Amino acid sequence: MTRFYRLFLISAVLAVFTASLAAQLPECPLRPKPGGALVNPPDVFSQNGLLSAAFTMRSSFDAEGYLHVCYNYDSSSTGRVEAPTLRVNPGDQLLLQLTNRLTYSPPAPPRGPARRPVMTMPARGTSNDPCTGGTMVATSTNVHFHGLNIPPKCHQDEVIQTDIENTDPPFEYSVQIPKNDSPGMFWYHPHLHGFATVQVNGGAPGALIVGGMEKVKPQVGGLPERVFVIRQQFTDPNKWLGGTNQLTINYHQAIAPLGASPVITMKPGAKEFWRVANASNQAFLALQVQFGTTPQPLELIALDGIPVTNSTQVTTIQVPPAGRAEFIVQGPPSNTAASFWQSGVDTGPIGNANPPQQLATIEISANAQEPLALPPAPATPETSPQRFAGLAGLTPTAQRKLYFAEATNGSAGPTEFFIALDGQTPKVFNVDEPPSIVTKVGAVEDWTIENRTGEDHAFHIHQVHFLFLAVNGVPLKDQELRDTVIVPYWDGKSPYPSVKVRIDFRDLEIAGTFVYHCHVLDHEDGGMMEKIQVNPN
Amino acid sequence: MRNLLKSISAILRALGIAGRQICLSGLIVGVALLPPISSAQEASQRYVITADDEAADLTNTATFYSIGLGGGLTQVATTASGGAGSAGGYFAAGRVSVLHNAQADCAFVGNGASNTVGAFAVQTQTLVASFFGSGTDSGGTVGVGLATNDTYLYVGFGGSNTLGTFAVEPACALAFIGDTAVLGLNGGTITGLAARGNILVVTYGDGSIESFNISQGMPVPNGDAQNSTGSINDHIPNGVDITSDGHYAIFGDASTVTTVEVSDISFGKLAPTIVYNVGTAWNSASVWLSPDETLLYISNSSGGQVTAAFFDKTTGTVTRGCVTQRLNGFYNGWVYAGRVGTALSTGTGSVLYVPEFGGPSSVGIVNVQLSNGKCTLAEAAGSPVSDPNSSALMSIGVYPARPF
Repeated sequence: MTRFYRLFLISAVLAVFTASLAAQLPECPLRPKPGGALVNPPDVFSQNGLLSAAFTMRSSFDAEGYLHVCYNYDSSSTGRVEAPTLRVNPGDQLLLQLTNRLTYSPPAPPRGPARRPVMTMPARGTSNDPCTGGTMVATSTNVHFHGLNIPPKCHQDEVIQTDIENTDPPFEYSVQIPKNDSPGMFWYHPHLHGFATVQVNGGAPGALIVGGMEKVKPQVGGLPERVFVIRQQFTDPNKWLGGTNQLTINYHQAIAPLGASPVITMKPGAKEFWRVANASNQAFLALQVQFGTTPQPLELIALDGIPVTNSTQVTTIQVPPAGRAEFIVQGPPSNTAASFWQSGVDTGPIGNANPPQQLATIEISANAQEPLALPPAPATPETSPQRFAGLAGLTPTAQRKLYFAEATNGSAGPTEFFIALDGQTPKVFNVDEPPSIVTKVGAVEDWTIENRTGEDHAFHIHQVHFLFLAVNGVPLKDQELRDTVIVPYWDGKSPYPSVKVRIDFRDLEIAGTFVYHCHVLDHEDGGMMEKIQVNPN
Repeated sequence: MRNLLKSISAILRALGIAGRQICLSGLIVGVALLPPISSAQEASQRYVITADDEAADLTNTATFYSIGLGGGLTQVATTASGGAGSAGGYFAAGRVSVLHNAQADCAFVGNGASNTVGAFAVQTQTLVASFFGSGTDSGGTVGVGLATNDTYLYVGFGGSNTLGTFAVEPACALAFIGDTAVLGLNGGTITGLAARGNILVVTYGDGSIESFNISQGMPVPNGDAQNSTGSINDHIPNGVDITSDGHYAIFGDASTVTTVEVSDISFGKLAPTIVYNVGTAWNSASVWLSPDETLLYISNSSGGQVTAAFFDKTTGTVTRGCVTQRLNGFYNGWVYAGRVGTALSTGTGSVLYVPEFGGPSSVGIVNVQLSNGKCTLAEAAGSPVSDPNSSALMSIGVYPARPF
């Protein structure tokens, strides 16, 4: 055997070994085992007005059969992590380079009847540009920056045409955080129509925090800050009946009493600032901190990334899928059993199960290692003119009535999901159809959204927040800016439940075409989404 | 006459009058109140038979209710169906098929999870046997649907997407002949099916429909698979019924309103469907013609109502008729309505029975009135009647069956 041949053989064996090892390594980082201490997700901070990060989106199945879909982030300080918290300040630029290398086969076809025509985005042009659509397949993806009030443009926050395939080169998102935006908690997640459920269920989403909350709500200044991203994992996310409502919190399974709860360690009586994102597919959360079984007061600071007008004390905070809640928690005294709960939500006669579930136990220790206080923002957020300022006092330029509806083939589906304008024939979302609503920059519209189904829905519109005015025609005492709200289920007897919201299309930057939809993601994937076109003046 | 007396006795038992206490006046009243019945019906008691669809091993049952005067129901027997049900599934997959002719009085009940058909002798409410198709047949989570043309029983296995053909043999026995693999034009699975004479019509829940020639027993595609006209507007054919003369196939659509579609099948295959919007009640997945074919009963599966539309069997046109109020217990005990059955096998059927899916399930009772060209549907006092054996009732059959 010649030396060359020996070297060749060794190289070949090494190559096979390396390839084999690579094939066996999970594409996504390992996730925590049941129990264990809850820590904040890793952070990526902006520096000098710029946050630059590169994500590679991958997928793998774990030993229990759960599909993991992950935004992998590598850095010298963190090593490989998934879905870090992106921390920016008003006026910053976010440069996110996304390389899609998804390889999974979905556990089941998307929810909803097999469709005619088969769902496709427009075929790409010869430029092979992800901004011009492509074949809508499970391994394609894109990113939505949920709650950010930014333009519906490709490379920014556009989800109708943007289709990044798993062979595409890195795709760059370039987002300018508005200078006059509020500090608060937002989140990012895949939004490819037809496959949002499976990719979000795979655990992809992460938090995005705009700094400066302590300047608007001084009471949070200096408090230890906890960031919780609540996700949901089904082995088959499209099998929506009879399955477990398995929640995770920062990737720890919340499965008590079947398994150990994750643990939050606090000092006795300590005050902390908690920031919670409901990044689940479909879970309607009712958050409580309980001492024993008694819910404790929580000081509400912000909802959906916007500081609330009045920081009231509440014992339960309802957070629909995609909603966020930020609040101050005071820890229990020593020797008190305490826990963090999803206390359960009745989602209606045909709604998905949302049973009570302990999310974490709270252990008290004088030596507890508290998380760091939230980092102060470098500059005072621009407060004049504040985004959406004066919305409550404006006269709407249009009033519209919309409704959620469903057409079901059986008790276990499949189901067609609709969000329709009153008087129009409801149709499942089709990217090729024209926008259902056309308006123009400068408009301020009041929308009444009815729920004509026996299950809760979560109304969300991209690009803007809206003022939450009323439920069932009754004006709310505290009218707050939101981006996702619950539209309660119909009980079969009463008039259809409704919410009324005031939507602000005054910002020149949001001209374009974008979507509004139910944020129960398999409803959205099943067609409960429509387009709105905001024409420039 | 002996059978007539047995029938009267059964009705009186249903009214709570014990046999030995029956007095002559009671008999006279009973006879006077009996609805007009044909000589064929004279031979037997009338029953509503439920497919309870319980999913645990060997727990599925059929519950027999005797139909009393005025259409009231009295539970008389609950019999294991020899398998496990699907605990739900497609609204329009009829899980009960009743065969009533000179040779047999049979009820067939699908066991969706064990992929079998339980065959019952109706008069004794006993299980004859549970019959398998092929090893690959599967009801899956959507269950099985049944249709018969007296000679054969066709079983739509929604999980495996196969049409099983069984010959109906004496004493309600079934002999498996074979499977036909099918697939909707858009990938859908068998959702509803109906057989009449030599034609079998199938819906796929994806907007497409197809018919088969069954003159030789096994279904042979007629080459007419097509997307329904309504599917363009997201109305998806689910249930199907066929007129007695085989002229029209009528489809009930999964929809946000009450939409049905009619196809002329007089040439032995499906013509393009014509869409009729006949109301605003939510979802019209299941349809059933009245015995005289003047009314089309539409279960508003997701709206807790039943609609009756006028049907012209000569032209195949459907026009608006009447609709119930929301039935008792909707979204407060039960959540979906399955395909109706009629108390009588003549005229309008007089009384409708509505399977109501919930835990426990129930059977709604609706009176039909037709006067001066107008109809009314009103839920009967005492409706619904509980089906304590089911938490997933979606299908019933009525014996004696409608004559077509």
